[in-house]
Order: sequence, then structure tokens, then C-alpha cells
Amino acid sequence: MTPTRSPDAAVAASSAVPDSGGDAAPVRKAGRFSVFVRGRWLLTIPGRIRTHVALTLAALLALLAVLTVAIGNARDSVQTIGHDAGPQVVATGALYFALSDMDAQVASILLIGRDHGLGIGRDRSLERYERRRTEAGRAAVQAAQLATHDPDLRRTVEEVLDGLGRYERLAGEAMLLDRQAGHPPGEPPAEVVDAYRQATDLMKVELLPKAYNITLDTGEKVRRTHETERSAILTGRAWVVVTGALLLALLVATQMYLARTFRRVLNPALVLATAGTLVLVAVATALLSAQAGHIARAKRDGFDPILSLSRARAIGHSAFADESRYLLDPGRADTYEQTYLDKSLSVLYLDMGTKPLNLANYHPAVDGTLARYRPGPGAPPFLGLFGDEARVSRDGREAAAFGRTLQAYRTVLANDRRMRELAARGDRAAALDLRMGRTSGAIRDFDAYDAALVALAGVHREAFDEAIAAANGGLRGWAAVPGAAAAAIALLIAVGVRPRLAEFR
Amino acid sequence: MRIVAAAIAVLSALCACGLEGAERRGVAGERSLVIGVKADQPGLGLKGRNGYEGFDVDVATYIAGRLGVPRSRIRFTTTNSSVREKALASGEVDMVVATYSITPKRKTQVTFAGPYYIAHQDTLVRGDDLGVRNVRDLRGRRICEVTGSNSWRRVIEERNVAARRVAAPTYAACMGDLAGGRLDAVSTDDLILAGFAAGRDVRIVNAPFTDEKYGVGLRKGDLEGCAEVNRAITRMYQDGTAERLLNKWFGRSGLKLTTSVPQFEGCS
Repeated sequence: MTPTRSPDAAVAASSAVPDSGGDAAPVRKAGRFSVFVRGRWLLTIPGRIRTHVALTLAALLALLAVLTVAIGNARDSVQTIGHDAGPQVVATGALYFALSDMDAQVASILLIGRDHGLGIGRDRSLERYERRRTEAGRAAVQAAQLATHDPDLRRTVEEVLDGLGRYERLAGEAMLLDRQAGHPPGEPPAEVVDAYRQATDLMKVELLPKAYNITLDTGEKVRRTHETERSAILTGRAWVVVTGALLLALLVATQMYLARTFRRVLNPALVLATAGTLVLVAVATALLSAQAGHIARAKRDGFDPILSLSRARAIGHSAFADESRYLLDPGRADTYEQTYLDKSLSVLYLDMGTKPLNLANYHPAVDGTLARYRPGPGAPPFLGLFGDEARVSRDGREAAAFGRTLQAYRTVLANDRRMRELAARGDRAAALDLRMGRTSGAIRDFDAYDAALVALAGVHREAFDEAIAAANGGLRGWAAVPGAAAAAIALLIAVGVRPRLAEFR
Repeated sequence: MRIVAAAIAVLSALCACGLEGAERRGVAGERSLVIGVKADQPGLGLKGRNGYEGFDVDVATYIAGRLGVPRSRIRFTTTNSSVREKALASGEVDMVVATYSITPKRKTQVTFAGPYYIAHQDTLVRGDDLGVRNVRDLRGRRICEVTGSNSWRRVIEERNVAARRVAAPTYAACMGDLAGGRLDAVSTDDLILAGFAAGRDVRIVNAPFTDEKYGVGLRKGDLEGCAEVNRAITRMYQDGTAERLLNKWFGRSGLKLTTSVPQFEGCS
């Protein structure tokens, strides 16, 4: 709008309108609408006041709309990561774990043969195999739910379920042959090993990669939604500031106009409306910043580490099973030793410099590193999934739980080293006893490590829940706040200008 | 009202820079792509008179196609092993598909999509040599040591197999030495061996002993592009293209091929 205070300007403005002047009389007859269109009303004081009010209310409406959208985005964002996709993605991680542990149980059963006193025993291994089968089925259902809008992902889930059927048949054959053979522990006959090779190859080459990719893919979707929603919240916050500032400027302008025109110092109602707007914008901006922060924290300290620890756990279990495969199938011992190394490296990678990268060098290097390392700020001396974890768990409960996990893992690796030394010396019985014996400790130590890892994930789970609870708490009540505040501000504006307009009646 | 106008001007300027963070585009948004490949590996990436050809080149073309970039808007360029990280960081190439193994160390500099194939170190011997059944049988035999390649270390140092090293400048030269009887075996990634095996009287032992995760190298931080490439690779296996390409390039080598999608590394 053009500020038109001087009479010359008013004349200039009216003469700028075409068809004025000569046709003045018929226009006057045409009534108020025409007056409105021609803009003459703008020149009157009540007209000016009304214009101020109209613009102010428009800005107020804009602020209300922007606030509603921004708070809606914040709500969606909490919903996605805290309640819908986030937990579901974590649940699909159970698929990889269950499948991998099924194969581990089969390897144990075949390795212990007729000696039911080894390991956790044949019956309990079978029980655990069945339980993992059920869990895999459940996790696949979760994955299928996430895949409703993604045909490629759904196909991957279907392929896993089809493959699982074939795997069960092959594993069943191996276990049947094994029972018929009734072999002493550690010496399964060739046909048992051959049958198992088919099953475990299917698991390793087809099922596990697909299961892993499902979690990665759904996790990627959460990452993307999270990024979009977070930037939507921040954009919303910027717009709240812009529309809020606009509204404040209009309120101040109205105040000044009234003060000048009516020679009054302040209009109390408008002052209140201005103050109210200021508070609303400040609180809403702070709320949106806090929401963006809570959600980022839920992802960074909760979702991401939970997911990568569940990967570390699954990889660790399958590496542990590679030890029994190493003992079970001497023909492939080199391969299983290599896969053990590869899996260990993906959990905890050390730069070995010019030293050959094999278990014989890895074991002492990792033992030395873990003996010295304490979680804290600064770059960790290793990479891999635990390297990522070290960057998140720098202090507090996380760091303590992570430190315990690493020490437990160190024991697990030390057992592996001893077992391989025994096997390399040709003492298979001692190696088998160390790995599968109930008293010698490899299983007990691995379970302790697993418990420490689960506890660490639990600490992240708490951080996640806290962040989500804070986000939910922050939003509570905000369904009504913007509307109520806008209504109050509108009311104050009306109260402020009504008496001034009344002077012209 | 002048206050209002000024406020609007200032705020919209503030808002504009706050909202549009300047971010380098990833491969998912490009109209055309420059892709780094190898130029001297038959079956994988080989530069001939009609340009580049091989499995890596076909995989890269398929992935680019799924990203919406047709063959006509792809430019292939030779990216040697030593410059791959630098070429990606400088933006000289958008993507590297060049027998590029994913390692935790490289992951600190490069975002890897894939792997699109997991190759394994294996051994190649003359067709009439039936004495080698796995890597342990290389004890006492002469294997090729190619300048700049670590494959021999994996046999002699990592597995402590006492093979004898015979130096050669390239794997192509190893093939000549093998045929000429100056060598007994060549041990390196099976796809590289398979590329050389075509049309020669040689045998791949099919006793893999390492996993080499061939990844698609992207600029560090291009997570969006990485996810898109992973989706393309998933589709490549689902629609049978991967199997067709593997058979096209390596089907006659006698190598056992994996035609199921590999386990992805995860974008980071």
C-alpha cells in the first residue's frame, strides 16, 4: 500500500484512476461497491484503520496456518521414527539374526553328534532352531508390512521366505543323516558334511544377504523420511519467524498510525496483542527447535546405534558359528577362518599397516588395542561397527556399557585364538572341548559378550525412548495453542480499534 | 508501513538463504554421468576400438539407466586404482565401477553402494594341471607376482603357503608366462581370472578363499545416490540382468558364478 498522507498525493492517486473526473456523478450512484473498487475509502481514516486491521488479521491467519503445518510436521516426524517405521526397521533386524542363528544351531547339532553333553545339547539346540524359525517368520511379516508400497522390497521378502523353505529341507536332511550316523563329536561323516554344505551355502549366499538388505533398505527409508521431516520442521520454524515478524511489524505500524492520528500515546489492547504475538512466536520457535533436536537425538543416539549394534550382534553370532563350522568341515577350514576374520573386521577393523591381514596377526593386534582403549572423546583407534559405536558412546552410561562390551568381546576373541592354536597343533579334541564344552568357557564367554551387547543396545534404547518422550511431551497441548492464541490476538486487535472506529459513526 | 516493507525485505532475504542450503548434487540428480572404469581388464573393463567394454561397464550402464541417465549421456573414463579416491573427491568422476573393493579404510573417504558382486580370490592353472585343488596346493609352485598387486601376499603371507614368486608387469603377462611354462599358477580375483580365461587352455580351480566386495564408489556423503544405486543393483538381480551379464562375460570360463544379490555394505 502507498502511504498517502499529503493532499497532493491523494489527488494524484485519485486522478491516476482512469474514468474518474467526468463520470463522477453516475459512479456515486452506483453505491458502496464502486467506492470500494475505486479506492476512495482508503483515503478516509476509518478506511485506513480497517485496512490496517485487515492486513494484520491476514498476517495472523498466515502465522496460524504456518504454525499448524509446522507442528503437524513435528508430530509426523515423532510418529515416523518413534512409533511406526523406526521400531519396525529394528524388528526386521531380527530376521537376519534369527536366520543366522538357525544355521548356527544346525552346525552345533552336527558337530556334537551323539555326545549330547556338549554345547547346549542336541535337544536344546533343536528347540532353539525351532524358536528362531518362528522369529524369522514373524520378522518377515514385519518386513512385508514395510514393503506394501515397494514391490522390489516385497519380492526380496518373498524370496527370503521361499529360500527359508528350501533351507529347512536341506538342514532337515543333514540333521537326519547325522542322527542316523550317530557319530562321535567332531567327526561327522562326509555325507553329513556335504548335506550341511548345501544348506549353509544357501543360507550364506542367498538368505542372509537378502535379509540384511531388507533392514538396510527400510533403514534407508527411515533416514530419508527423517531428513525430509527434519528439514520441514526447520523450514516451518523459519516461516513462523517470518510471518510472526510481519505480524509484529503490522501491529506496530497500526499502533503508530493510531497514535499519530488520534494523538494518543499507546493503545493498551494493541500493546497486549503485540506482546502476545511476541510470546507466541518465541515459544513456537523454541518448541520447533527443541522438536528438531529431540528427533535428531532419537535418531543419532538411539535409532542408528541400535540398528548398527543389532548388525554387530548378528554378525558376531554368525562368526561364532563359523568356529563350529571350522571344526565341523576341515575341508573348508581355510574358508571359515577367512569368513571369521572378515566378520571380525566388519565389527572391529584395525589398520594392520604392512602386516599380512590374517587372524594370526589380527588377534594380538586387537587384544593390545582393546587392552589400552577406553571410551572417550577423540577418534577411536579402530573402525567398523564398533568404530561407529565409539563415536556415539563417548561418555556417561553409553561409554560405560560400551567399555564392558569391548572387554567381553576381547575375551571372545582370545578364546578363538586359543581354539585355533589347539586345532593348528592337531589337537582337535581339545579345540572342540574349548569351543563346545560346558565348563571350558567359550560358550559362557560368548553369552556374557552377547548380554553386554544387548545391555548396550538397551542403554541406547533408553536414550531413544527419552528423546521420543520429550518430543511427545513438548507437543502435548499444541493442538489447541495456536488456534486459541490467534483467537485471543484477533480479539485484542478488535478491542483496540473498535473505540477509534466508533468515533466516526 | 515503511517498517513493514523493510521487515519483509530483510526477512525474505534471511529466509531464502536459510531454506536453500547449497548442497552438491549426488548421482541421483544428475542429467549425465562420468563413470570411472578400468581399461586393461578383459571381461571387466577393457578399452578397445569401440570404447570401453566388460562386466563393470555393463553394470555401470544399467545402474545409470535406473538413475535416469541413458547410454548417450554417460562418459566412461579410465580410472586407475591409485587415483580412485581422488577422482571421486575432486568431482572428476561421479561414480567408479572398476573392480573397486570395499574396505573399512576406503569407506572413510568414499561412500560405497553395493557391492554389485562379491568376487573371491581363486587360482588359475594350465588346463592339464590337475594337481592344484586349493590354495594349499600352491606350496612349492611358481605363482605370479604382479607389480602393484597384493594378491600374492594373500597366498604367501596371509596363508603362509610357501609358493615361489615370479615377477610380471601385468596379469596379461602372467598369462603368457603360464602358457610358456615359466609359471604354474596365477592367483587373484576370480572375475579377473575368468576374464583372462576365455579362449585359453586354462582351468579355474574354483576354491575361493577371500571375499572381495566390488562396490560402486561415490563421492563421500552421497547417501541419497548410494540408496538409489543399491535399489538399482537389487533390481538388476531381480530382473535377471545380473545373471545374463555374468554369463555373457564369464559364462565360458568355467568359474562358478553367484547369481543372487550380494549383501550390501550399507550407505555411510
